Amino acid sequence: MATSTTKALAGEEPPGPSHARDGKETSRRRGAWLHRLDVKGAPYAFVAPFFVVFAAFSFYPLVYTSWISLHDVELATLDIMEWVAFDNYVDLWGDSRFWNAVQNTITIGVISTVPQLLMALGMAHLLNYRMRASLFFRVASLVPYATSVGAAALVFTMIYERDFGMINWALGTVGIDPVNWEADKWPAQVAISTIVIWRWTGYNALLYLAAMQAIPAERYEAASLDGASRWQQFTHVTVPGIRSTIVFTIVLSTIGATQLFGEPLIFGQGPNGVTGGANNQYQTLGLLLYEEGWKNYQMGRSATVAWAMFMLLVLAFLAQRLIKRLRSRTS
Amino acid sequence: MGTLGSLRRKAAATAAAVGALSLVVGCSGDSDSVTGGSKDGDKVTITMGLFGVMGIKETGLLEEYEKNNPGVTIKAEIAGDEQTYYTALQTKLAAGKGLKDIQGIEIGRAKEITETRADMFADFADIPGTDHFLPWKQSQITTKDGKVLGLGTDIGPMAVCYRKDYFEKAGLPTDREEVSKLWAGDWKKYVEVGRTFKKNFKGDGVAYTDSASGLFNAMVYGYPEQYYDEQGDLIYDTNPAVKEAWALASDAAEEDLTAKLRQFQPGWDPGLSNGTFATAVCPAWMLSHISEKAGDVNKGKWDVARAPKGANWGGSFLGVIEESPVKEEAQKLVAWLTAPEQQARIFKDLGNIPSSQKALEDPTVKAVKNDYFSGAPLGEIFGAAAQEIPDKQVLGRKDGTIKDTFSQGLALVEQGTPRDEAWKTTSERVKKAVR
Amino acid sequence: MTIHSLPARTDAPARTEPDQPARRGGGRRLLRERAGRTHHAGPLAYVLLAVMAVLSIFPLYWTMVAASTDNTRVSQTPPPFLPGPNLFGNLARAWDEAAMGKAMINSTIVAGVIALSTVFFATLAGFAFAKLRFKGRNILLMLVIGTMMVPPQLGVVPLFMMMSELGWSQQLPAVIFPTLVSAVGVFFMRQYLSEALPDELVEAGRVDGAHSLRIFWSIVLPVARPAMAVLFMITFVHAWNDFFWPFVVLDMSNPTVPVALTQLSAGYVRDQSLIMAGALLGTLPLLAMFIVFGRQIVSGIMAGAVKG
Repeated sequence: MATSTTKALAGEEPPGPSHARDGKETSRRRGAWLHRLDVKGAPYAFVAPFFVVFAAFSFYPLVYTSWISLHDVELATLDIMEWVAFDNYVDLWGDSRFWNAVQNTITIGVISTVPQLLMALGMAHLLNYRMRASLFFRVASLVPYATSVGAAALVFTMIYERDFGMINWALGTVGIDPVNWEADKWPAQVAISTIVIWRWTGYNALLYLAAMQAIPAERYEAASLDGASRWQQFTHVTVPGIRSTIVFTIVLSTIGATQLFGEPLIFGQGPNGVTGGANNQYQTLGLLLYEEGWKNYQMGRSATVAWAMFMLLVLAFLAQRLIKRLRSRTS
Repeated sequence: MGTLGSLRRKAAATAAAVGALSLVVGCSGDSDSVTGGSKDGDKVTITMGLFGVMGIKETGLLEEYEKNNPGVTIKAEIAGDEQTYYTALQTKLAAGKGLKDIQGIEIGRAKEITETRADMFADFADIPGTDHFLPWKQSQITTKDGKVLGLGTDIGPMAVCYRKDYFEKAGLPTDREEVSKLWAGDWKKYVEVGRTFKKNFKGDGVAYTDSASGLFNAMVYGYPEQYYDEQGDLIYDTNPAVKEAWALASDAAEEDLTAKLRQFQPGWDPGLSNGTFATAVCPAWMLSHISEKAGDVNKGKWDVARAPKGANWGGSFLGVIEESPVKEEAQKLVAWLTAPEQQARIFKDLGNIPSSQKALEDPTVKAVKNDYFSGAPLGEIFGAAAQEIPDKQVLGRKDGTIKDTFSQGLALVEQGTPRDEAWKTTSERVKKAVR
Repeated sequence: MTIHSLPARTDAPARTEPDQPARRGGGRRLLRERAGRTHHAGPLAYVLLAVMAVLSIFPLYWTMVAASTDNTRVSQTPPPFLPGPNLFGNLARAWDEAAMGKAMINSTIVAGVIALSTVFFATLAGFAFAKLRFKGRNILLMLVIGTMMVPPQLGVVPLFMMMSELGWSQQLPAVIFPTLVSAVGVFFMRQYLSEALPDELVEAGRVDGAHSLRIFWSIVLPVARPAMAVLFMITFVHAWNDFFWPFVVLDMSNPTVPVALTQLSAGYVRDQSLIMAGALLGTLPLLAMFIVFGRQIVSGIMAGAVKG
């Protein structure tokens, strides 16, 4: 942490000798004052642009969203809002589709996030080696991220197609019966997860790689002097060395998984995708929000789903903090 | 390299970036008018927002209008997907900004527009020369107090497309007249033919029809009332028409007469090109899709027979925004585009069936034949089918959503869910969707 | 204020002791010491990476195959594996039908401005959150993270009304302004800098009497370079591919690439190979950029240290 020393060095300027000439004294004092202003004020100035833009373009929509979640209102007639207080929330709580969506969001989230981050870690580690063609491998690993959700989901939908898709065709050549990737629950969730994994593994690997390059070489040297194997160096130097970036990717993937909607939407093809399959077998919360808002055009209920998603994330992070605190207390 | 120097360079770069930014901001003109059109002396610009399958831009009609009306410039935009188009349209209607002078309206949205946004659209009731439409078509876009919000483009009368080669292999007649007779008057007979087909067809991997939902839609759309009654109340769970269609479509699904595909989705296309089903209930606008996707290999194998009963599936309208600065000019353009001659031309070029009674009676329309479908006389078949459509067509606000929900319910049956359970699920979903 | 490196020390400890504050130039020295890569890759590493490269590229390759056949062939079985003859024809057709010229320019402006401003402001704020002490820091940081959790789709309606009021609908600023900063970017830079930027460097700057902005320019920016390159790329790609909001607020007379591409699925029949050609067109500029910036990342921190 930057803290105590920084403050001691920067904030508390030792008082100058009192017998100095007056003019010099004032200018020095002004310098000190400017310095203090800089130390105290600069941080706020640095974070201000973010909050200003956010306040201007996101805060109002946010307030508006919470306001309409307390109303019965349709997109076609936004000017006619009927106050229903917390009815939307009560209805959502009692709606089986909501709990189904929560469940799907969690399962798809787990099957897509865990392998994705582990693979990204391994990939970053490999990419961190000195090697030939490293530029090629780095660019190759990023190709999926360059592909838009739409294009990626479209290609995968064709590859997973039941009757003529490449995967079922390949399975057929080795004598395995075709899998109904879309209509059956688990195959569908796995297929959707592979789209997510495909698109984001390279991205996360790149973030890890950038962080790995900032790990001082001497830490590795020290570890290898201690006789640590490569694996031990990986677990004891590399992983702790990029801990904050790992935290970042976990937070980001969790949020991404909670809001997942483009991939299942396109995978399900058209109106069928909005409901996450004929049996809602892969309807995520993001899709439920989309269905209520952009298919049923019920903006109030859609906003309610959005806030439920938000609360779910807040709960997840609170739970994570609680576990951390309990653990540090017991250890 | 001095840090100060690099600092200066970076500062310059930042300044350049900020400059670029303000440049971008600077370009933003002010758009005070509600729509995109403008009038400047003799020069008139009309903007159009269309979607998917309306066939207005593709046929070159707009260029022709510009040529015949010097000073008029038309800017037409076509969005691919109607769902996204309508979402954007609703947002813009709600904001009262960013609209086009002319906006396309799909039949499934007509009721919602007439009930909730009638004030935003200009009235066509007094525009001369607009009395040539099928009677039910214009009533769908007319409000209770008689305001006409748009003019009809196409309609979707039904026929049955079938593979002659597969019918032959199943020992069924292949001539379109005889095939039409097989199921004339009753959809039950169509399913009955399917049973025969399944029993007699030699070979694997060919189902009788593509999907249960196609059959369901065709049946339901043959009745004046579907999911709503005239008062606007939901009747889908009591309407015998819906129940009957559900039962028959479920029969077809349970007896494996369907290929379990979803129409217009990527899985359906390979079904067409690989020929995995022998028939498809086809509204007129579906034909070009079939010929394109089934490809040259299958040319001449398909034919078109009359549907057991008349029904309408799909079709659109063109509306004009009331506050458009070029309202009169835009209405004039819409009247011209939907006039019998132009509708006839779109039909000949693209296959959209005219919603104009006059165009349907045009002998050159009646004479249209299609090579791909074994020379089937499309003008005659669909022209006759258009006359069989019930004279009253009651629309409901959430027709589109309910239709999709029923399609999914039938997909459940195709996947093995017992039909009563699937009905229950469907009914609950509809209730939640329309609440 | 020229920086000439002090003689390199091979036995440098990972961190300078607080009681021996590093003088000017210490930052560069530390950087150089951090600049080691570890091992050379073995054959297994090459094999694994090759497999990953194939898996990464294959779907895009198949997009290209689909874009090079015609509409019928693309949906036949077995699926095509080799490119057909129509690639350039389809690409040209997609370019014309979607009016890609203007869309490409628009997308470049939009994504470029958003990425530049996001990187700049995110590094600034990330530095403050990681290394500067101020009241309310944790709460503000939680707020930043909190803003990421709100699903973006719902803001669309009020945002659209706002843009109409500002007279920006159908204009690029409507797409640019709401995303000039990103919470993801701030959080990312904060996480990166709290690890990569040693406290001593900041302290050393303070001792020299440098003000915060100077510390930012001459100490933070060099350290942040690899992360900034990464953030630039991911922001650029994200802005380039963003669809829903641009679709609602822009129109075909002034579209971005994804908005323009929707025109390809208009018309009577969806031409799958044409749509694939469009998807490929939209992706190619990004790939080109990756190749340019990929080099940046490879050289990354090493270059920063050597040039000093």
